[in-house]
Amino acid sequence: MERGRILDVIGTLARLGLAAVWLVSGTIKAVDPDQTYIAVRAYDVLPTGVVSVVATVLPFLELALGVLLLIGLGTRAAAALAAVVLVVFIAGVVQAWARGLSIDCGCFGGGGQVAPDATAYGTEVLRDVGFLLLAGWLIVRPHTLFALDGRLESRPVRSGERN
Amino acid sequence: MGGASRSEKNRKQAANHRLAAAGITPKQSGPSGGTRIALIVVAAVVVVAGVIGYFVIHNRQSTTPNYAVAASGTVVTAGKADAPVTVDVYEDYLCPVCERFESRYSDDVTTALNDGKIKVNYHSTAILDPLTTPAGYSTLAANAALCAVPAGIWPAYHKALYADQPAEKSAGLTAAQLVQKGVDLGAKNADWSTCVTGNSNAAAITEATKAAIGNTALQTNGRFGTPTILVNDAKIDLNDSKWLENAIAGK
Repeated sequence: MERGRILDVIGTLARLGLAAVWLVSGTIKAVDPDQTYIAVRAYDVLPTGVVSVVATVLPFLELALGVLLLIGLGTRAAAALAAVVLVVFIAGVVQAWARGLSIDCGCFGGGGQVAPDATAYGTEVLRDVGFLLLAGWLIVRPHTLFALDGRLESRPVRSGERN
Repeated sequence: MGGASRSEKNRKQAANHRLAAAGITPKQSGPSGGTRIALIVVAAVVVVAGVIGYFVIHNRQSTTPNYAVAASGTVVTAGKADAPVTVDVYEDYLCPVCERFESRYSDDVTTALNDGKIKVNYHSTAILDPLTTPAGYSTLAANAALCAVPAGIWPAYHKALYADQPAEKSAGLTAAQLVQKGVDLGAKNADWSTCVTGNSNAAAITEATKAAIGNTALQTNGRFGTPTILVNDAKIDLNDSKWLENAIAGK
């Protein structure tokens, strides 16, 4: 297999993997809005009014990112948006860790207060950094297989065909 | 600008000439049609998220409570005694889901109370006392809320206890902080401070909590938890976001 083809395959796996992450996390959050609200509130960063907005919008933003990545539409922009969201998530977990809160990140459901010895901040940050690497790959090299982007792209044409 | 970018342009032009010589027209720089569509779709997602957020914020206009409040034992009854619908709320001031219930429905409940459509019995329950260090914030807060009735500030104080709800497994709020919260809201009666720090309703709250835990009509999956909400003595499903509309409509 030529090098470009291998890179395409790696990129495709990154895209579908990241899509799966968003679809799973978004679905779990969307079906339990009260739990999502409690998870967002536990970070103790936002005022109550803003907590409910974030808790309402976040699940659907995650689902939208999942769908865009799954069908490969606007891969680079979707990956960039995903990276921004992930950086915000990591910042949220790190501030909770630094302030000595004992919460679950609520990344894939759950969330809220947990016993001080039941926190898993290190694992949560590492996992998000892993997802960030997938997004990073797609930002640098968005070309992947089975993507709608590929169909929309104007292919290089023979010079004779232009005008 | 200047030299560097111009030489970059020259390099690209030269490259394009070579490609043209090979019979290939390179893609134009700048977003092609497909890329533009993709960018528009992603931008649309961001905009839609923003619009939803905007409406969520603007749909919550705060209603000013102007209903009557009376305490009987450890139960605070809000609204007119002859209101057609009776709602019972079993709540613990440390419980996150109770805060969620309050933040999600308090405006609708206040409107219904103001309009005389419902009355609400707020049952002081304290099941989460062990979850603060020192233990006992749930009872202390429930006691303070009962003190807020004669102080004439119950609706605002009830709201404030949730707005500033401490986290589970934290220290909770101290009696002094609970006193100050009431002073800020206009508690002027002389015994407000003594009532809150004295925690004199504690024993009655413990009894009421035990009674609630033992009442099978209040249990969900064989356990009592907070919040538990009853409409005309029938427990409602908290996942039903239309519970209040349906209650008022008599469904």
